[in-house]
Amino acid sequence: MPDLRTDNTAQDPSGLDALLVEVAGGSRNAFESLYRATSSKLLSVCIRVLSDRTEAEDVLQEVFTTIWHKAHQFDATRASPIAWLAMIARNKAIDRLRAQPARGVLAPIEFADDIADSGATPLQTAVSADERARLEACMSQLDARRQSLIRAAFFDGSTYEELAQRIASPLGSVKSWIRRGLLQLRGCLES
Amino acid sequence: MNVRDLHDQDFDGPEPPSADLLAGEYVLGVLDAETRRAVQRRIEHDPGFARLVIDWEHRLSSLTDTGSLTDVPPHLWPRIRSRLGWPAVDSSNETARTGLWQSTGFWRAATGLAAAAALAAIVIGPMGLLRDDALPGSGPGPIAVEPTPPTPAVEDPSAPKPVTTLAHDDGSPGWLASVDQDKGTVLMVPVPSPADAEGRVPELWLIPPGGTAKSLGIVSIDRSHTVKVPDTLRDALAKGALLAITLEPVGGAPRGVATGPIIAKGAIVTL
Repeated sequence: MPDLRTDNTAQDPSGLDALLVEVAGGSRNAFESLYRATSSKLLSVCIRVLSDRTEAEDVLQEVFTTIWHKAHQFDATRASPIAWLAMIARNKAIDRLRAQPARGVLAPIEFADDIADSGATPLQTAVSADERARLEACMSQLDARRQSLIRAAFFDGSTYEELAQRIASPLGSVKSWIRRGLLQLRGCLES
Repeated sequence: MNVRDLHDQDFDGPEPPSADLLAGEYVLGVLDAETRRAVQRRIEHDPGFARLVIDWEHRLSSLTDTGSLTDVPPHLWPRIRSRLGWPAVDSSNETARTGLWQSTGFWRAATGLAAAAALAAIVIGPMGLLRDDALPGSGPGPIAVEPTPPTPAVEDPSAPKPVTTLAHDDGSPGWLASVDQDKGTVLMVPVPSPADAEGRVPELWLIPPGGTAKSLGIVSIDRSHTVKVPDTLRDALAKGALLAITLEPVGGAPRGVATGPIIAKGAIVTL
């Protein structure tokens, strides 16, 4: 193995927060580095919501222009950088989804007691493991139906109406389950 | 607002839910287009409500699957630059130090004509100069390299080897690879670039046509070095194969399977 100089990034395993600070200061180089480091993940987030690669690629462009303009709003004390970036991507993707004609039939939602953890790859480390573990612990306290609905809503950006259709239940019940689930989550996370 | 005093109508009735729940619903993504737009307007004008949204984003953000990766097509980056009103290709002073390296003319000349030896000489040789910013930043002029006439791919084993450019998605060169099939080596010459923000390291892969990626090990981002290709992969080191770089955890891809995004790639065109 050749003698490779390793950069001293060990203390800051993500380094994205520093990049975001530079981007907020107007550094185009930092912005390009940020793009290289995160565009692949953020495109995945958009595809997950939109189920359409072309749309997702288009939205990704909006996502990064938004990141450029909003980087100064990033608050490292409140969110991990990748979570903040992914939230922007989700929001833009859902906006695009809502601007489209209604989706066709969506997959039914399984009320599994034990829902597979879809994100636990080695690269997941970018999101704080502690926070994730905490949220998962609180999610696991929800009953299977609330938990499945909240996950489905979050992952796919499904509306209440779509969720009701997917589980063949009345709209009012779906709203009730999700709202109670959200409050239960909040209570758990704040306890 | 006191959400502890919620009544049942907050859950399933036609009445709008409390501001806090509405913020949660917005972040969760269950609102229809109209309600969503109304909520976004409220975020703009109601700082207290915006705070509730941020709180929910914080609570739910780790649900996001940020582990998945998708190949990003190369044309997106120039388009994003255009949307921001920047030139599609970076030629700003900010990158003056690397400007030369990204000059298309220079690389066309380099990849088309220059031999690996000459490249190694100019890339490794004046590295000190480069660090001292003594190179003309914007001049596309092909430094002091006498363009060597194209070398026919022939017998002379000492003949310079053609160069494969491993380009980033936006077309800018990331590494130059000079493949020597006889010796089973690949000379990797990196175009100086910042280290990965997440601390990952570049790993080189050989992908035969229709085959799976085989690791050739970690490569440097700032030094030229020769990669020894295992004998078992020697035959795959042929015209038509792809050389690609992914970002992997320190120590290399676990179990020899790439986990990170491809950041640069190039096909071996001639040997």
